[in-house]
Amino acid sequence: MIKVINAGLQSVIEDWPGRPGYNGQGMGPSGAMDNLSLQMGNLLLGNALTEAAVEIPAGFFSCKFEKDTVIAITGGNMSPTLNDAPAANWESIFVKAGDVLKMGNYKDGFRTYLNVAGGIDVPPYLGSKSTCMFGNYGGFDGRALKPNDVLKTGTANYAWPGTRKIKAEFIPKYETVIELRAVVGMNACPDFATEKGMDYLFSHEFPVSLNANRSAIRLEALPDWFFSRESGGVGGSHPSNIVDHAYNIRGGLNVTGNTPSLLTADGPTLGGFICVLNVVNADLWKIGQAVPGKDILKFTEVSVDEAVRLRKERREMLTERIVV
Amino acid sequence: MSETKYATILDTLDIGMDFEILFRQAGDGFMQVEYGYEQRLYVPDSFRMLAVNDLILQKKIGGLIETVPGLRTNMFHFDPEVLSFKTLIQEIKDSELQFKGVESLKVKSRLIRLPIAFEDSETKQAVEKYLNLIRPDAPNCANGYNLEYIALCNGVTTAEAKELILRTEWFNSGCGFWPGGGFFWPIDPRCALVVPKYNPPRTWTPEGTVGIGGPCVFTYTTPAGGGYQLFGRTIPTFQFAMKHPQFNESPCLYRNADRVKFFEVSEDEIKDIYKHVHEKTDYKYQVEEGEIIVKDYIDWLNSDSVKAETETFRKRQAEGAKSAPRL
Repeated sequence: MIKVINAGLQSVIEDWPGRPGYNGQGMGPSGAMDNLSLQMGNLLLGNALTEAAVEIPAGFFSCKFEKDTVIAITGGNMSPTLNDAPAANWESIFVKAGDVLKMGNYKDGFRTYLNVAGGIDVPPYLGSKSTCMFGNYGGFDGRALKPNDVLKTGTANYAWPGTRKIKAEFIPKYETVIELRAVVGMNACPDFATEKGMDYLFSHEFPVSLNANRSAIRLEALPDWFFSRESGGVGGSHPSNIVDHAYNIRGGLNVTGNTPSLLTADGPTLGGFICVLNVVNADLWKIGQAVPGKDILKFTEVSVDEAVRLRKERREMLTERIVV
Repeated sequence: MSETKYATILDTLDIGMDFEILFRQAGDGFMQVEYGYEQRLYVPDSFRMLAVNDLILQKKIGGLIETVPGLRTNMFHFDPEVLSFKTLIQEIKDSELQFKGVESLKVKSRLIRLPIAFEDSETKQAVEKYLNLIRPDAPNCANGYNLEYIALCNGVTTAEAKELILRTEWFNSGCGFWPGGGFFWPIDPRCALVVPKYNPPRTWTPEGTVGIGGPCVFTYTTPAGGGYQLFGRTIPTFQFAMKHPQFNESPCLYRNADRVKFFEVSEDEIKDIYKHVHEKTDYKYQVEEGEIIVKDYIDWLNSDSVKAETETFRKRQAEGAKSAPRL
């Protein structure tokens, strides 16, 4: 059991891959914004790679452990301390009943995961422990954590063998300019966008605005010459308008009017605007570490075949070979 | 297939109809099937899309996570390590070729009668919030609401716009966007108002708001962002707590292929029904079983009077659209 002392900005329970399969009921997949950190944490603890953890954006979270257990802190560095002594990211840590974990401000990356041996025990909703913030379902009572919440933990598969660490060369690096590899589509050239417009999309540096949450990250407006048509016809008079279609979420870049928004975990699943690219599955985690108001997104085009190869490579990486 | 840089069409299929079927790449794990290049509103496209979607789902294709049909598109979400694009395209082509055509279909379609209060104070607040926080000069929010803009875009008066919304039945091509949301298209083309969507979108819309984007009507199931032009408010169409008997089996009111018909009531009546749905749980929803005989519907669409009146309306609409400011 873990008792929350400070809940931070919007700490939520998330697993991976969230709740896929319900887009047709308007329920986006939810799930960890940085799935790579979550999965690495689970790997360190002998949990299933899909297991749920506490996702902590921006820091200032603290909690008290009410029984002995093993944890791993992965993702952004928020200068964690255990009983006021510095604690390390990317390794398993034995904690005793009564120990207090504190996170400070984020200084590298934006989201930290507090993983616990056995996972966080909340009732699955439609097959997932993930929280959907706007829908108020899943996770812990369908909401962000509050002070004094008590989290139950699952049965651990873990006999303390001494510290396990992610090998240094596999620890993700958080850059200020975040390169997101992406597949073009489904709305691009020649019917919807100009080649010049798509060139712009794949070369421009887009600051991550403060208008960013678990549903979408709003980026700066595209020029009018991005579009290759005058109007969306019966879909609506703006060239970004289309007869409503399902979105390629997660990872779709949706253009509403001139404004592009990257659709993420809790994003809308269907709507009347074009989608011009989809961030490859293997790079979705980077979006979760983008710092609003500071970092910059840069899209790089890859083919579908390359994207599938990257996805396979990522799956094959997440094994004991990255643990020491 | 185009040789253009940034092309997205992976393959096409000719089925001897007035459109080709397009297979568009949409990600590593996403592919969109689209009926033709033209952004058209033709409800029988949705009858076909839903029927073929059923055929595809019956195959229980390994690696297919879900399909999400729209009016003239279907999104395939799949695991590309298990199911290749090539195999998926072939499976879809087989189903499209196996399908006998919509003319012989009888589409099971419930009719849901929903009360609506036009220009109510709750949805006016959403517009006011948008003007204050997002776009103070938004031309679609003249006099603090969207109804005048809806009318302007279609060359009709606001009274006529309301009358058209009330006159037609609206067909749900498939659920999505927000939990429990449905996408409703006018069955009567003479009532097909068309409007652009917000630019940029709203960040807040109250529960029960009814709006229109392109020719499509949406009832907001829970407070949400959104891009549709607002004209009124209806009763709850989603109840997460599943307390009311209508929501015993599912928190969603709508199913694919439902029809909605609106009738006008006062704002006070709407507010009262909220209490009878969410608190007293004794409101009686008006839902009837029914079906659409597609051949009869297509014959009706093709009748001289419907074609002529649709044409007259479209001309008036085109004039209106010219005078409406772009968003």
